[in-house]
Amino acid sequence: MDNKMCNITQSDSDDQENISENEVELTNRVFEVNSEDLRPLFLQESHLSDHQLLDEDEPFWPNALDDLDGVNINNFFHRVSSDQVIYQAKKRLKMIGKYVMGDLLGEGSYGKVKEMLDSDTLCRRAVKILKQRKLRRIPNGVQNVEREIKLLKSLKHKNVISLVDVLYNDEKQKMYLIMEFCVGSLQGMLESTPSKKFPFFQAHGYFTQLVDGLEYLHSKRVVHKDIKPGNLLLTLEGVLKISDLGVAETIDFFANDDTCVQGQGSPAFQPPEIANGLDSFPGFKVDVWSSGVTLYNFVTGQYPFEGDSIYKLFENIGKGDFTIPGDIEDPLRSLLWGMLQKEPEERFSLQQIRQHLWFSKRPPLTEAPVPIPPLRNDEFHCMTVLPYLFDHYYDTSDTASNLQYFTQRQLNEEIMKREAEQNNGNAQPNQSSKRRWKKPISCIAVRKLPGCKQS
Amino acid sequence: MPLFGKSQKSPTDIVKALKEAVNSLEKGDKKAEKAQEDVSKNLVLIKNMLYGTSDAEPQTDIIVAQLAQELYNSNLLLLLIQNLHRIDFEGKKDVAQVFNNILRRQIGTRSPTVEYICTKPEILFTLMTGYELQEIALNCGTMLRECARYEALAKIMLYSDDFYHFFRYVEVSTFDIASDAFSTFKELLTRHKILCADFLEVNYDKVFSHYQRLLNSENYVTRRQSLKLLGELLLDRHNFTVMTRYISNPDNLKLMMNMLKERSRNIQFEAFHVFKVFVANPNKPKPILDILLRNQDKLVDFLMKFHTDRAEDEQFNDEKAYLIRQIKELRPMPGH
Repeated sequence: MDNKMCNITQSDSDDQENISENEVELTNRVFEVNSEDLRPLFLQESHLSDHQLLDEDEPFWPNALDDLDGVNINNFFHRVSSDQVIYQAKKRLKMIGKYVMGDLLGEGSYGKVKEMLDSDTLCRRAVKILKQRKLRRIPNGVQNVEREIKLLKSLKHKNVISLVDVLYNDEKQKMYLIMEFCVGSLQGMLESTPSKKFPFFQAHGYFTQLVDGLEYLHSKRVVHKDIKPGNLLLTLEGVLKISDLGVAETIDFFANDDTCVQGQGSPAFQPPEIANGLDSFPGFKVDVWSSGVTLYNFVTGQYPFEGDSIYKLFENIGKGDFTIPGDIEDPLRSLLWGMLQKEPEERFSLQQIRQHLWFSKRPPLTEAPVPIPPLRNDEFHCMTVLPYLFDHYYDTSDTASNLQYFTQRQLNEEIMKREAEQNNGNAQPNQSSKRRWKKPISCIAVRKLPGCKQS
Repeated sequence: MPLFGKSQKSPTDIVKALKEAVNSLEKGDKKAEKAQEDVSKNLVLIKNMLYGTSDAEPQTDIIVAQLAQELYNSNLLLLLIQNLHRIDFEGKKDVAQVFNNILRRQIGTRSPTVEYICTKPEILFTLMTGYELQEIALNCGTMLRECARYEALAKIMLYSDDFYHFFRYVEVSTFDIASDAFSTFKELLTRHKILCADFLEVNYDKVFSHYQRLLNSENYVTRRQSLKLLGELLLDRHNFTVMTRYISNPDNLKLMMNMLKERSRNIQFEAFHVFKVFVANPNKPKPILDILLRNQDKLVDFLMKFHTDRAEDEQFNDEKAYLIRQIKELRPMPGH
């Protein structure tokens, strides 16, 4: 229906959300429109007309509009053809304490994760932004986060994510957890490949680092309880970092053994003793099991236990019967058997894993390693803070002629494309989408800055 | 040696030549200068075979395997280490590089050099005594730490009598050697958790009587570093048994209480992390409880004023508050 109005009103309501998800700040530049003409009445209708909008090629004002309660709409709305409503991508500098905010890196279970730059040390950081309002809705949300912060502060190891700083904004009810910068999770890497698995040598490299990190955690009496590829992050240098200690449990200092009573991790990675609902179980062996499932997943692209529902899954895990694909040979095969033993007492200890043949032997480099998937088409994972700094400190008026404007139609096309891409299960980066949109998203005139490419 | 292109010498020739050169260097006859030159030259040749150069790739696996085999058969590794102090500066570094490379070599799941050294533990002992000689101490240190990465070799070193020399090496007056020795010492005691825990348990009395000396050292750095390491060892879950034993000895508690009052704030702080374990222990033996009770009021007062400027360190403040509460609530054992 009334396309043009929608275009304008949308920018304030509906689309603004979509866009901000993609981290493009839009400055609405409306030409020949008097904003007073906008009535909230049409805000709602704008949602309905979304789809039509996208298909329409040439903005057109249908006569049918005159039906609206017999009022001639042209009297209160100034018509603007949609190709005249344009937006401009903008990177406005935002500081949180001494940190400069960059673009979105991903979304965790508790909130967004963005890139940051420490303006004192120039270290790249990642920030987990937690909204207290959201946190309160999650059972034990606040306590879990507080516990995790405390825990992370007391840990220091190469293969465990380190918490650099915690900032609070009481006004906005937000919490900023500033962490080491990582480029992505192993889960994301696995998903980016067709076979959903790693070559043996790559799996071996990550697995040995995982065991190093776990051994440290266990030496600090911490049971992680949620080891899985999604919680294993990688730095730009390829160092593995165990993250997300939200459900981790610390064994009492004077406890005689590592007995735990609560199992809270991800179902597919839970050991039989938790699936069967035992009252208590040895904690460290839980991490051994989920590391076993993780290794199984690395090398086969599958899970040892599956099920249509969580009940079915737990039933299968509880039985403890699984198979290892035939192409997995000894010694890896026997390592997986050892780690996925149903009885915790018979399951390997970290020490046994360390002494296992597969662990000590570095598999040969057979094929190209799975690369870290690009972030918004940027395979180098360049620092996203830079454009903001550039915008803030350099006079961009001379580049005004280069300013990129784009219309609602282009915007919608891009959103459609992105959705399509996501629905296609993260297919290869869409080539055609680069054509129009690449520039507005990426940094403005970033070419001018020498050495902005992170090696 | 040809001016251009690769050397045509086989590993056998090089190893033989190097061995002869080292032997005549050892004898110290008049051709010493010539021998020194030959040693350096052949070491560089071996190093280049293993690492390659800017315009040559490392040699193929077959050549390297041959070279390693020759080194084992001729016992050259030991000979090189025994004469390390006679070799010139660059040569010493080359020996360390060659040694570390050969050590890391793997065939399938086997590490042949590690197996070889297990049969020739003199290599390890000679390396350890290297800390006695200033000019080779640091070279020996890098080789020792590389060895310590392998559990089998770490075990030989830990269980040898020479290990106790480390308690002396970490205290020597030359700072760089003392710190190098300390990092090797720490590596040996922390790298392989189960091995170390077993070692400390079995040799508890001997190790901790030596360790006591470090904690009482005249040298500030030694005192501070050894106290920090002690904290790390005791707080590591793997060393649970050792920790339980350590915190039931009243002498250890007295020592820590004295260190809480040391002039250095850093030492006070490290001592706090050991002291807290004594207090937090839910099953305090009577002698420990008695000491704490005797000092109950003084300790509470002391802790109230202890490092009050560490406001930003939440964990420390929580722990301190916990300790104060614990000490206030201490009561004599029933029946006494």
